[in-house]
Amino acid sequence: MSAGGSGEAHAAIPQNQLIAFGIIGGLIGIYAAFFLSNVAGGVFSFMGALGAICATIWGAAAVRRVASYGLGTGVPSIGMLALGMGVVAAMFGLAVAEGFGLAIAGPLIALVVASIIGLLIGIFANKVLRMNIPVMEQSMTEIAASGTILIIGLSVAMTGTFLFDVVLEDVITTGYIAVIFIAGGMALLHPFNANLGPDEKQDRTLYNALEKGAIAMIIAGIVALSVQNASVGMVTVLIGIFLWYYGFTGFYARVKRDAFKVVGTGLLPSEEELE
Amino acid sequence: MDPLIGMGALALMGAAATIAGASEDLESDIGSQSNPNSQVQLAPQMSYPHRIYNKAISGEPPSNALMCTIGGTVAYVMLNFNVSVVLALTIGSLVAAMVHGTYATTAYMGRCSSQKRFKQMVYLDVLRSHTPPIMGYSFITTFTILVVSYIMVTVFAHPFPLPLLAFIWGITVGAIGSSTGDVHYGAEREFQDVEFGSGLNTANSGKIVRKAESGLRSSMDNSWFCAKFGGPVTGIAFGMTVFLSGWITTVFDPSKGPAAGWESVIAGALIILVMIIYNRKMEVSARKEFGPYKEDKEEAA
Repeated sequence: MSAGGSGEAHAAIPQNQLIAFGIIGGLIGIYAAFFLSNVAGGVFSFMGALGAICATIWGAAAVRRVASYGLGTGVPSIGMLALGMGVVAAMFGLAVAEGFGLAIAGPLIALVVASIIGLLIGIFANKVLRMNIPVMEQSMTEIAASGTILIIGLSVAMTGTFLFDVVLEDVITTGYIAVIFIAGGMALLHPFNANLGPDEKQDRTLYNALEKGAIAMIIAGIVALSVQNASVGMVTVLIGIFLWYYGFTGFYARVKRDAFKVVGTGLLPSEEELE
Repeated sequence: MDPLIGMGALALMGAAATIAGASEDLESDIGSQSNPNSQVQLAPQMSYPHRIYNKAISGEPPSNALMCTIGGTVAYVMLNFNVSVVLALTIGSLVAAMVHGTYATTAYMGRCSSQKRFKQMVYLDVLRSHTPPIMGYSFITTFTILVVSYIMVTVFAHPFPLPLLAFIWGITVGAIGSSTGDVHYGAEREFQDVEFGSGLNTANSGKIVRKAESGLRSSMDNSWFCAKFGGPVTGIAFGMTVFLSGWITTVFDPSKGPAAGWESVIAGALIILVMIIYNRKMEVSARKEFGPYKEDKEEAA
């Protein structure tokens, strides 16, 4: 039993694998987009969004793990908290790295800072607020770190770089940070929130995360149309639409597998069926 | 800026906000989002499977912030390409409504299939008949919120960019829809087989009304019910919030000097004071008219 309940959620894919997938996939995506930004007019900036999707899947799994201890209405809050920590850490990391002339290390510094913030909030939640959830410290660290990769990844998809002055000008002052914040946050929190219930399954939730991450990717592509150029934006949007379709069909296949019945129409189950 | 133009723009903002509030509330009611959702979620567990749309997209503020921000972002990108304003806001709202539709669909499917052991089915006709109106309402909400944000940027020269203003107004309309609108759905429509005024006993939790006057109750019926009072009242609440909060700084423009700034603060405080007194009077008169409950009287005697 995973949701509305009170215990460790059953996970077919171990969390450690998802952590590795999120961090390695996320960083590869961000750095690939950065180093390939001069190739073919920057069309490879979609790699940043792929990194963000890796982080989304990881983050959604972490939300699922901590929220299955009966958080209920706290699921949306934890997603917003993730991106709140993520914005602070990402901007701090990128700005400090650029300040020290080490711009290339920006995402790594942001990741470390996010982990520290997440860990502190996790300790605070368990020790001071006495929530006593065994995986709280680790999960908050993971959620903050995945939120940070998500933000940097989507910023890279929009601008093609994670250099702080470019991000500041093209993402923050234009207000696109708002859409990164909310579309990213919803991509983290919605999968578990939408599948909440005793018969929730990890793979269905993660397919939902892929689908929601792809929506954030599509929006980042639309922004890239104006921040970079039409070809960059279109590549990101098209790959995003493909991933969305793949995610949605994967999700729907698992809905059909997991649901009591998927019917075209019908009455309520009869008394005998309910017995 | 000419005060008359300011007042005209403000009136337009207030009108757009009124529509936004009403459509926001009706949109959330179709999906039984927010407060009523907990009972819809609980019902199958208490062996009351249902045909109500379980649209669990977080709370109303984040979900409305999402669609308004996406609409604002797409519109802003199009405005950068010098597309006409009406077209940009329309396409932005369209994209937002489509994204909102996918969120609603996955929430309904996901929540219902996670209740397998309680025999809750996934009804595809519920999905087909309810998702388009949800998207329609979300289109109206996003469009009107974008109108409010766009007027703020262009007429009132607000320093924030369009996506950020849309984000803030999205959260605001969601918060007001949640606080004002939910009161007029929730227990009122979900527990109509319970005697009026009896409150919600714990034993009745999850025992929602699943059958309508004819056939099975659907969430469209809940929206119809809310359109009579809950939706409009949410619209008026949000419209007043937008209009009155803008009115004090339009009439007493702080940019003209500190004196006018203080006058706007005093005007705001006066409005709040008048509302507190009015609400208090209304509450007292309602208590005199309808309460206390019969049981309370007997106990007192």
